[in-house]
Order: sequence, then structure tokens, then C-alpha cells
Amino acid sequence: MRFKGKIALITGGIRGIGAAIGKRFIQEGAQVVVTYFQDKDQARKFQHEIGGAGAQVHQADASDFDQMKALFARVLKQFGRLDILVNNAGIRRDNLVMFMSDGEWHDVLQINLKGTFICSKLALKPMIAQRWGRVINIVSPSSIMGREGQANYAAAKGGVASFTKSLAREVGKIGITVNAVSPGVKDTDMTRSLPEKTLAELKQSIPMGHFGQPDDVSGMVLYLASEEASYITGQVISVDGGLT
Amino acid sequence: MQTHLLERNYLLANLKELIVRTLRLEDVSPEDIIDSEPLFGEGLGLDSIDALELVVAIEREYQVEIPDAEVGRRAFASVSALGDFVLEKSSAQKASDAVG
Repeated sequence: MRFKGKIALITGGIRGIGAAIGKRFIQEGAQVVVTYFQDKDQARKFQHEIGGAGAQVHQADASDFDQMKALFARVLKQFGRLDILVNNAGIRRDNLVMFMSDGEWHDVLQINLKGTFICSKLALKPMIAQRWGRVINIVSPSSIMGREGQANYAAAKGGVASFTKSLAREVGKIGITVNAVSPGVKDTDMTRSLPEKTLAELKQSIPMGHFGQPDDVSGMVLYLASEEASYITGQVISVDGGLT
Repeated sequence: MQTHLLERNYLLANLKELIVRTLRLEDVSPEDIIDSEPLFGEGLGLDSIDALELVVAIEREYQVEIPDAEVGRRAFASVSALGDFVLEKSSAQKASDAVG
């Protein structure tokens, strides 16, 4: 029960990696608040899986400042603190740059990059007051090595990686660590939507020879959120089977 | 206004105590802080990271909001300026509470 008494907020937490992270935090004693953007059915399914214990599920757009401000206020009013923020909400709108629309560029930057900024900013005041906090941002191998068809996603996640390093410098003295985890290619809904040829090529490029599971990543996220990792900050840590 | 002056002096003493406590200043005691001296740069020599902690502490203690860096710069010019900021904001707050 490493996280007994701790409050963790996870954006985009009802499926894939976000859901795996939420479940692990609940298992280890944290009170978890999870946001989702619009899939009510999946939200209900997630809520059912966790059995309502130790978690709340709220609909909110992580890139909308007013919505997130209201959610953070609600969490602080109820629990009086916020210890851990996992910026996981993300979308992909893959296209080659030649054909990429303004909308495809904008939406991906908005959710992945601006959402991370907004939620981190809102988390800082309670964390500063506590002189303790953990911000963990989920990035991607695209942000490290690039990937064709993902210039928008890579730019957003690369931005999140640099944001991570900068924010870590701003708040390190106050006992807040800021790190990023790069999950590699995981067996999730988002990956399954890739073309088959891309999937086969991807598998070949992974030294471990197979895709990862969401729980490979959640172990690292929980470690970074723990007391043991209190001297690790500003790092981008890959859990990717050697891909990068 | 005698009471107003007393109230202000009391507030400034409290602010100095809050600054020393929040920032865990080891070589400075509250009485050492001069009302009109700059808090940042020269003077007390605080840095922008110290400002983050002070903003959060002042907001919590006095129920005022420091929404941006410009307001922060004005409010944190000195203990004296900070006292005026808190008095101005909290009286504005009281007035709006009374109306609301």
C-alpha cells in the first residue's frame, strides 16, 4: 500500500494505459480520480471493473482550462489535496505532412500538449502548498525517433518531453518531481487501429520481439510516483522493449 | 486613522513571519525584513522559485488571488507593497461578499 492516503488524478484514464495505471494506484491504496473525454459506455465499463472502490470517473476535456479548473476545484474541495497527476489523455490523427489538415495538426497539439500544460498548471498550487507532488507525463517513441504519418503526434509528445524537463527545473526545489514515461508500442486500442503492415514492421523493430502490455508502463509510473523515486526528475524513461 | 495603521502594522508583521516560515529562511528573522526593501533580486534576495511558494502561501492565508506575473510583480515589490495588496484585495473581497 505505497499510496495510502494519496490522491491521484489521471487524464484519459478509462482505457488502455490510463486505465491500467488507475487500477494499480487503486490496488496500492490511492484515491483515484479519472477523466474521460466522451466515451460514456467505456467509462461505465471501467467504473464497473473497478467496482466503484477508491475511484471517481468524471467527464472532462483535458485541454479545456475552465472544465479542468472546475474539476480540480472539486477534487481539492473533497480531498483537500492532490499528490499525483498523470497526464495521459491523448489522441492521434495520423497523416503525412503533405496531406495533413490544419484540424489534424491543431487537435493533436491541443489535447496532447496544451492539455498537459493546463493540468500541470492547475496541479501546481496544491502540490506547492504540500511541498510534495508528482507529475508524470505519458509520451511516445514518436517523440524520440519520429514516425512517418505522425508528425503532429511526434511534435506534441516531443513538446511534452521538453515541457517535462523545463517544469522539473521550476519546481524541483519545492519537492515536486516531473517525469515522462514513453510506453513504446503497446497492445491497446490506439495501436490496433494502425495498418497491418505497419504493425508487422513495428514488431520487427522491437528488440524484445513483441508489443508491450499496458501494465508494463503502469509499473514505471507507480515507481516514479513513489517515495523511492524522490531524486528522479526531468527524465523521459522508455518502457519500450528496446525500441528506441 | 489609528486603527487602520495598527491593522496594517500587524499585517506587515504577519507577512514577514509568513515569508520566513514559508521559505524556511535560516539566516533571516521576521524583524530583519525592512518594509520598503525589495523582496526579490537585491534586498532580501529571493528568486522566482521562492515566488511560487509565496504566491501559494499568501493566497491560502489571506484568500486573495494573484492571477498573473504582472500582479505578482506589483504585489511582491516589498513587504509594504504586499501589505497594501492584501488590504486592497481583502477589502474588495469583503465588499463583494457584502453585496453578494
